[in-house]
Amino acid sequence: MKCSPLYSMLMTVVICAAALLVAAAKVGAPAPDFTATASNGKSFRLYDYRGKYVVLEWHNNGCPYVGKHYNSGNMQRLQKQWTARGVVWFTIISSAPGKQGYVTASEENEYLAKMQATPTAALLDPTGEIGHLYEAKTSPQMVVINPQGVVVYDGAIDDKPTTDLSDIALATNYVSLALEQAMAGKKVETPATRPYGCSVKYPDSTH
Amino acid sequence: MRVHQGTNTRGCRSPHFASALALLCAAGAQATGSPIPHGTLELVAENQWIAIGRPFYLGLHFQLEKGWHIYWVNPGDSGEPPRVTWQMPPGLSPGAIEWPAPQRLGTSSIVDFGYEDAVTLIVPVHAEINLAAQPLAQLGAEIRVLVCREICVPGRTQLSLTLPIKSQPPAPDLRTQDLFAAARKEMPRPAPQNCKFSIDDAKDSFVLSANFGSQITQATFFPFAELQIDNSAPQTLQPLATGFRLTVRKSDRLLKPVERLKGVIVLTGNQAYLIDAPVSGRRAQKNKSGYGSDDKPSSKEGPE
Repeated sequence: MKCSPLYSMLMTVVICAAALLVAAAKVGAPAPDFTATASNGKSFRLYDYRGKYVVLEWHNNGCPYVGKHYNSGNMQRLQKQWTARGVVWFTIISSAPGKQGYVTASEENEYLAKMQATPTAALLDPTGEIGHLYEAKTSPQMVVINPQGVVVYDGAIDDKPTTDLSDIALATNYVSLALEQAMAGKKVETPATRPYGCSVKYPDSTH
Repeated sequence: MRVHQGTNTRGCRSPHFASALALLCAAGAQATGSPIPHGTLELVAENQWIAIGRPFYLGLHFQLEKGWHIYWVNPGDSGEPPRVTWQMPPGLSPGAIEWPAPQRLGTSSIVDFGYEDAVTLIVPVHAEINLAAQPLAQLGAEIRVLVCREICVPGRTQLSLTLPIKSQPPAPDLRTQDLFAAARKEMPRPAPQNCKFSIDDAKDSFVLSANFGSQITQATFFPFAELQIDNSAPQTLQPLATGFRLTVRKSDRLLKPVERLKGVIVLTGNQAYLIDAPVSGRRAQKNKSGYGSDDKPSSKEGPE
């Protein structure tokens, strides 16, 4: 949103501040748009996927909570299962250069191949811009966006906030639950949870 | 991080406050702890033996390398609290962990609640009256703990402790007295009778007001339950002649109204009080998620 030069300086500041406040993602509100470059070199814009369900997965390959879901194959299973049903799945890496989880495009491509991970794309967000837009706190934080572009789930991947692989079998997966309920035309029963995991490794200067 | 100690909280000083001091030379050789990532962990008992029919206390003493931290029962934005699985003989039942007052960790958009340097978690244990005396009872604890600085390292360790079970009254273990005394100093206490807390719902914030009988210039609130407050938002303190007013931003993920807020209010490093107060004065207007004024109490409040 732009601030009109017609307003006084004070009004401009107020309106811009308000615009920033409403820009963050909230369950039940429109998902903020973004454009990002993926590890495969292509550019992806969220709004191009109106009409489809979109999953956002915050990723950091050095985080033990992420490791739990990749070393067990759980995340790859979810990616495969839901993209097969037409869901667009964006893995997002918001680690800053020099911080845990930061990868170059080729490093991420190697990781995806090694892990046999098949998201629609792995988006590189080294400035943390997309992360801040969604107020992503942790990896793996998960967001589900419906075909109308509204956030219907934001939070943890499941209800077992641990690093233990053995907990996956016992867990209720909130992402699958949200997708199943939303696709069945039902209300998402658990639309927001605490997104457990490692803190997102944003650049130091950002707040 | 200091308020004007000795003048501003006179009306509310706990009777326990001055007692936990001066045990500097009591401890003999302290057993070294088991390794955990970037630190050590030790299981200790307050008494020399378990007295049949009497509750007693165990301690989990964490010693961390500089800059590393572990988490409170509500870890805040990231991380997770230590988890304990006890192995105890029949007739002994461990209670819930007593958590010292935490501190805010981090200053950016991600803020956690936890402990740096060293911390002792205290666990009360119930010893049944029909417990049989034995010379060497084995108590075990499997602990899973996440230790973080910039990055996080999960650890798992098995600790054990051997204690006699006797019918005689308990006797303190001099080696651990200073550790328990120091740990109790860090525990939040019930607010004294003359201190009144109230909490108002102010749309995007909770406003915590406290009447302490004197001015308070520093206060931080830590809720036991997750998803109630915006952890990283600065908490705004307004000192009042008789206490303070603290404005705490609500969590964006708070989809249902909160009936009661339960947590810890920390005034200084060693003055922490338990709060458990109804949230009142909710505006007549319905909030964004469409919940009205006839909401049910949340079942997910408080530590488990």
